[in-house]
Amino acid sequence: MTMLQMLRTSGRVDRKARPRGQILPYVLSLPALLVCVAILVPFVTAAIYSLQRYRLNLPYLRGFIGLQNYIDFLSDPAFWNTFRISLTYTALTVVLELLLGLAIALLLRRPSRFHNAVSIALLLPLMTAPAIAALMWKLMTNPSFGILSYLVSLFGINDFKWASDPSTALFTVVLVDIWVYTPFIMILLLAGLRSLPRQPFEAAALDGVPASFVFFRITLPMLAPYIITASLFRLLDSIQQFDIIYAMTQGGPGDRLMVFQVQAYLEFFQYTNVGRSTALLMILWLITNILSNIFIKNWLRLRARAHHQA
Amino acid sequence: MEHVSLAGRIFRGVALTLILVFFMFPIFWILLMSFQTNEQILRIPPRIYFEPTLANYEALISGQLRTAAGNLQISFMRNLFNSFVLSSAAVVLALLLGVPAAYAFARYKFRLGETIAFTLLSFRFAPPLLVLLPLSLYYQQLGLNDTYFGIVWVYQLIALPLILWIVRGYFEDMSPDIEHAYRLAGHSWREAFTRIAVPLAGPGIAAAGLLSFIFCWNNFVFALILASADKQPVTVGALAFVTASGIQYGQIAAAIVLSVMPTLLLALYAQRYLVEGLSLGAVKG
Amino acid sequence: MARLELKSVGKSFGAARPADGVSLTVEPGEIVVVFGPSGSGKTVLLRMIAGMFEPDEGEILVGGRSIVGAAPERRGIGMAFQNFALFPHMTARDNIASGLGARAAASDAAPRVEAISRLLKIEHVLGHAPRELSNGQKQRTALARALIGYPDVLLLDDPLRNVDAKLRYEMRLELPNLLRRGAAAVLYVTQDYREAMAIADRIAVLVDGRLEQVASAEQIYVTPASVAVARLFGDPSINLAEVTPFAEHGTLSAMVSGAKVRLGSADGHLPDCPCWLGVRPEDLVISVSASEDAIPAHILAVTPMHEKAVLLLRLSDGTEWLTALPPDAPHGAANDAVFVRFAPEAALLFDRATGLRIGLSHRRQAA
Repeated sequence: MTMLQMLRTSGRVDRKARPRGQILPYVLSLPALLVCVAILVPFVTAAIYSLQRYRLNLPYLRGFIGLQNYIDFLSDPAFWNTFRISLTYTALTVVLELLLGLAIALLLRRPSRFHNAVSIALLLPLMTAPAIAALMWKLMTNPSFGILSYLVSLFGINDFKWASDPSTALFTVVLVDIWVYTPFIMILLLAGLRSLPRQPFEAAALDGVPASFVFFRITLPMLAPYIITASLFRLLDSIQQFDIIYAMTQGGPGDRLMVFQVQAYLEFFQYTNVGRSTALLMILWLITNILSNIFIKNWLRLRARAHHQA
Repeated sequence: MEHVSLAGRIFRGVALTLILVFFMFPIFWILLMSFQTNEQILRIPPRIYFEPTLANYEALISGQLRTAAGNLQISFMRNLFNSFVLSSAAVVLALLLGVPAAYAFARYKFRLGETIAFTLLSFRFAPPLLVLLPLSLYYQQLGLNDTYFGIVWVYQLIALPLILWIVRGYFEDMSPDIEHAYRLAGHSWREAFTRIAVPLAGPGIAAAGLLSFIFCWNNFVFALILASADKQPVTVGALAFVTASGIQYGQIAAAIVLSVMPTLLLALYAQRYLVEGLSLGAVKG
Repeated sequence: MARLELKSVGKSFGAARPADGVSLTVEPGEIVVVFGPSGSGKTVLLRMIAGMFEPDEGEILVGGRSIVGAAPERRGIGMAFQNFALFPHMTARDNIASGLGARAAASDAAPRVEAISRLLKIEHVLGHAPRELSNGQKQRTALARALIGYPDVLLLDDPLRNVDAKLRYEMRLELPNLLRRGAAAVLYVTQDYREAMAIADRIAVLVDGRLEQVASAEQIYVTPASVAVARLFGDPSINLAEVTPFAEHGTLSAMVSGAKVRLGSADGHLPDCPCWLGVRPEDLVISVSASEDAIPAHILAVTPMHEKAVLLLRLSDGTEWLTALPPDAPHGAANDAVFVRFAPEAALLFDRATGLRIGLSHRRQAA
């Protein structure tokens, strides 16, 4: 959408029509348009860089190489490691947060003073900066004095190294992600649960329908649009997770927590390889687009069905 | 509505307690640590009872950190100040840019409006580094690197979509007749906007502003890439501080407490708005 | 004081055409009620005059000057909205004073607000916020806001729609005097034909974006311009039958359900065209005695109402008609066989092709 289209739109308007009324919305949204342009320019630049051999330390080698950066990734085990870890991280966090968030929302479903207080308390982790949350957990999992290290030692596990051990690093950052973001899912699902019509549940209670049937056949289908929306938000954030992992281990130990954005960051600032870095981000962008499209389609379908039932 | 058995009640009670412990304990524990000396922190087993000290906070506020290796200058208060400046300026700018645009999107149906709204929303879901990395190269050329303005400008990526979508919803829920009535009484468009539309959308503007402030404050990656030490907010500053101070765990805990306190207090103060703002997309969508 | 003129005003929204060649003049001090079914374009018409959207074609003049394209605040128009559109963050007093706009000095505003609120009997709630007012008080506040600035043109968009029946009744009596105070040209929109008849100097009947008839209430009732207008006015609504009138011995007659009824003298009229015959329920006479011009029928149901009794009749050919009788008049009971008559003067004929009324020479002329 451009100035050209703006002019065309205003040109179509009858000469007599109030000119202010037609120009006004454009004037008002001009600053927002500027911000859009300021985002789109670097985005297009990134797309162009991804097609170049472009290293900041070797500027004289710069030139277009087509899809070579992308092709290189396909045969690069480091890329597939990143791909696998990003997807694992995403799948683990989204599934666990969804289950936990849904369970909490169900527990807090009936509005009461205590339940509302709990849901407000759970806002606090969500309002903590994820990078700071990672530092908090780093302090708590410190091998020499961390309270969590101490607590597991009570169970006879003396050598639990949390994020510094390759075998438990993923578990640790997933735990931090769950701590920060489960409340987000809980809030959305709680809002959803409380906005559901009551009649189906009252009817089921009168008919003595078993609770499991009510949950799987009434609650879940009606809640599906909310679940899909919450998962979409979390999915897109999770696959792009940077703050928690970078603040906790910078992708380590080794490349054990190397996810897309951390690798792109290191490619750019450590290896100064702009071409590879942007190509990696373009791949991530493509994945997020595909995911969001799938989810939005499902969301629309489920929403239509839920409305139909209600 | 439902009959809950005794076993069910006990189960609920235990479950809610476990949940509260899991989500509240880290905040509680770090708060305790921030009042402890290093010796107290390193004691095994850890104790809940201890002689609290304000030394960690004093060190942070005075900027003088005494370590075994000698005195260390720390700029943590500077980071805190930067966070206030950057987040407030970003929210003010986003409100100035976003509220009129949100009004235009709500009141006039035009293609450009939809395009802008969706472009901004879709970039909410794009990898931030995709925009930030090329932008850092542009910023170096433009001299915007490591300036307040440069960082406030990219914070619009966080604040503007939130404000546009939340405030737009509020404007859409208001009957345009109220503004028409004011204009027919002899007031200009601008007067109707500032004296009728904006005050009536006040709660929405407050919700959007608060939420954007918190998200700007909590942002890490934007400043990590675009700001160097003297412009860094607390999120980046705290990480640098951890590296610099080494084993001064009490001070690290105090720095964490100071970094999260403003947003947590804001969140508690305005929780109703926050829940509304957070669930707007899902509930209204 | 200025006259409001609409000249061939037209407006389209996609395929919908809420205004189509609307021409209308409202004199200063005159109340013209725009009446029509919902969706007929009444509100769109008011909003074009108020400047919320512009007409696609035609002119709107106030005092001879075109206001098309002018900003709403420059049009000299006061408006009361169906949903009141009060400013929720201001007291009733400030709401009313805002009607003076930027025009009035602050010192001047207070006595004028007092005066208008006394007139509308809301002086005791001036300090209240709109949410503390009853619907009736909200409506009066909105009215005061529209009236206070003495606008040239006053637009009222179904202002009694959201108030209860008692208040609506009172306001119908009060409104004409209130609205005439400032000698504004008043355009009043309603869907309630009784309200239209009670308030209007003239009624403009709007159907599908076109003005079907502009005339006094009595003229519209007695000589509706079309079958559409005839159906919109009257409760119970007009009885209709498909007929093909024929001339016989200088008289125009028609067969209705097997009976030959006289419609008037035949001179100069086009017999043999397919028509709608319309008879108002209150013009029907019921009796038990048969005659050649009486339509045989039987009573399906009797509904006593407070000022009249309504009978649902089935004519012998199956057509269902209604009659309205004074409650004390003798009427039968359900299932009674009766005969229905009406005076030739009561008959209205409409061309079935165009819906327009065909003038009959005997028609009594409205005063």
